[in-house]
Amino acid sequence: MSRHLIGEVALLVGALLILLAAVGVLRFPDALTRMHALSKASTLGVSIALLGAAVARTDINDITSLLFATVLQAATNPVASTLLMQATYYAEGIDNRVDTVDELAEAVASEVSP
Amino acid sequence: MIVAVLIVLGIAASLFAVRLIIGPTLPDRVVALNGLLIVGMVLLAELAVETGRGSYLPVLVLLAVVGFLGTAMIARFLEGRGR
Repeated sequence: MSRHLIGEVALLVGALLILLAAVGVLRFPDALTRMHALSKASTLGVSIALLGAAVARTDINDITSLLFATVLQAATNPVASTLLMQATYYAEGIDNRVDTVDELAEAVASEVSP
Repeated sequence: MIVAVLIVLGIAASLFAVRLIIGPTLPDRVVALNGLLIVGMVLLAELAVETGRGSYLPVLVLLAVVGFLGTAMIARFLEGRGR
């Protein structure tokens, strides 16, 4: 019963983090900032929720399946969001204003000019 | 407890759906679809915990793989179109 309660609380925390990511995706003004909101909050939220479900379950088959999904999500979600961010940066016609520091533009300029 | 999780996930899914509809560019829609897929993953985990039946958990692993492949493919498509 205690393990079930811990799992439920972890699932609720993960769902609240995903709600935070959804509010950020809806309210932020730019495509790059929306990706920032989703990829940071949702990776942590999914990891917490799936680990909580793995704590709550007792069957070893379910536990390994949930742990595998957690590892897969934590390994592939940053890679996928980085790929999408680079494609958005290079694509024409999409508003991406990077105000203070733009290291990718310096790298592209130093790669093209010599 | 399950009602609270379902309400929170429902609000999150509706916000993602609004962004999916009004999103001005293709990357905004991809981000919203990725968020909807994540909501589905947590929903499957919650269902497995509540009903005590782990039959749906391979679908969760499959959703993780399909989400990564779809996002990577759309990123490649967008990069080729942009430049």
